[in-house]
Amino acid sequence: MVKVSNITKDYMVGKMVVNALRGVTMEIGSGEFLSIAGPSGSGKTTLLNLIGCLDKSSAGEIFIDNEPVSEKSKKELALLRRKKIGFVFQSFNLIPVLSAFENVSFPLSLLGVNDKELKERTMALLDEVGLGGLENRFPSELSGGQQQRVAIARALIKGPSLVLADEPTANLDSKTGSDILKLMENLNTKHKATFVFSTHDPMVMDFARRLILIHDGRIVDEKTMRRLK
Amino acid sequence: MKFLVSLAWKNLSRYKRRTVITMIAIAFGISMYIWIDGFLLGMEKESERNLLWYETGVAEIMEAGYWKDIAYFPLKDSFKVSPKLIKTIEDKGFSWTKRTAFISEMFDENGSLPVIVYGIDTKRDEEVFKLKETIVKGKYLEPNEYGVLVGEWLAEDLSIKVGDVVTVRTRTRLGAYQAVDLEVKGILNCPNPKVNKGTAFIPLSVADREMEMDGRVTEVALGLPEWTSQEARLIPLTKEIEKSFPLLVVKNWRDLAKDFVAVSEGKRGGTSVLLFLIFIIAAVGISNTMLMAVYERIREIGMMRAMGMKDSSIRLAFLLEAGGIGFLGSLIGVALGAFFTFFMVRYGLDYSGILGRMDIGYRVTGIFRAAWDIKAMIVAFFFGVIVSMLVAFIPAHRALKMEITECLRYQ
Repeated sequence: MVKVSNITKDYMVGKMVVNALRGVTMEIGSGEFLSIAGPSGSGKTTLLNLIGCLDKSSAGEIFIDNEPVSEKSKKELALLRRKKIGFVFQSFNLIPVLSAFENVSFPLSLLGVNDKELKERTMALLDEVGLGGLENRFPSELSGGQQQRVAIARALIKGPSLVLADEPTANLDSKTGSDILKLMENLNTKHKATFVFSTHDPMVMDFARRLILIHDGRIVDEKTMRRLK
Repeated sequence: MKFLVSLAWKNLSRYKRRTVITMIAIAFGISMYIWIDGFLLGMEKESERNLLWYETGVAEIMEAGYWKDIAYFPLKDSFKVSPKLIKTIEDKGFSWTKRTAFISEMFDENGSLPVIVYGIDTKRDEEVFKLKETIVKGKYLEPNEYGVLVGEWLAEDLSIKVGDVVTVRTRTRLGAYQAVDLEVKGILNCPNPKVNKGTAFIPLSVADREMEMDGRVTEVALGLPEWTSQEARLIPLTKEIEKSFPLLVVKNWRDLAKDFVAVSEGKRGGTSVLLFLIFIIAAVGISNTMLMAVYERIREIGMMRAMGMKDSSIRLAFLLEAGGIGFLGSLIGVALGAFFTFFMVRYGLDYSGILGRMDIGYRVTGIFRAAWDIKAMIVAFFFGVIVSMLVAFIPAHRALKMEITECLRYQ
């Protein structure tokens, strides 16, 4: 599904070059529930951004469904993200003037899905993430956990093959964070979408079925987890 | 598109206070524009009417030499009106009256003032002018009588009243000095300040005799029953006169009232600058609002771009949002402008207390009334919407130039 081949990413901070990623190679299979873990500044977010085609690597190549992304134009990358990749952000990034329903259906509007189908799919997914009956609430009227559920539903609504979540539980308390991870896990199983999430929280790492540890821009360890449900 | 319109509309309510303040700025600009434009148009229309009814008629026929030195009223360049000329005028549907104008000094026992005196055909003058309707004291002139009509302001300045005798001193067509005693028969209160202030009227026969005109006149004033297509109707007459009467010229009221035309254009220019400044205020207001809106939503823009929303769609969403503010502001502005204009059209503003007899170039006195300018309202409305959208383009464009990851990190 995703192949990362010896990518590096360098940033300029003033006159200093910061090597955020130093030759990362990895593969992510279809339907995986994978965590990229590491301390702050280790390069997790940079790696997720590159996999999500939000940024371009300094060297190396990323393949999504066997297609190299470095050759794609901005428009093609936008189209790829629109169709295949869902995002969940640490601070939810919901549009405050839109209701839960409208936030979730936003990606379908971008795809030009007709009103009837849009409504059916959105309501079904809102039910699935446990927000049935709250569809008319605005983000300010929802708790942090509920907002993140909206964000997850928004990421999944278009049926993406890949969902990238950057520290999805960092702004939530541990109980809510745990619930969110369980929800993500269920959705991963049910929708067969690949979930990749970054974290530095050991509790969150425990939820992953595969764990990639990253430090100073390099993969330092990789584990297959056998979590008891 | 439906989603973008809906999003833009909802975003308008996001910062209600800021949106309302910006809308007020736009509404103020638009309403001021409509009000001032209507006011100026009203002044122009009224001035035009007062020129046509009391000063120039639609046009005047005169000798080319007279036109050349018209500022000096050269009586030597007067002409005799032939039946052929009258037929030509009437064949083209114009009414006409003969006049002789000359400069004089008007005396009474208290002093003297320079006055332009018109010898008027007392029977025909009403065909073109409406002086008779403006008499507030005394009566209109009888043919052949040694009487004079004077404007109210002139009467006040000379402290004369109906029944008083004034002396008019001038030079005749042949260059002799002449002094004529005339009894004040009537006092006019004309809406044209120029007529009210420094003009007197005597019977044409008296002017002919005392000025040694020998049947000549300085001009034939033309009138038309309707207001429309005056200039178009003058064209064939002008051509005919040029062809059949090579010494004569036809000058329309704009040629004759160049001072008014210049003042009117000058004031329009000055007002355009003022209006431009008002629009700048509105543009800066909305530009500031949109700048803040864009920068406060950079992370949101990042999220939308991450989701695969096209940059052009995001830009359009911001333009629609700004256009929404412009739309509402312009709508309120047009409504307010129309409201002010309605009162200005119906009741006007009485400036007589402020201006007194001050000459502001326009041929209006007392109450200034506005006129409806529907075209300006439509233009102002669309201008408000389009300017609002244009000024939103720059901040939106800047935000879209940032990398998506930079947008998502933006604090």
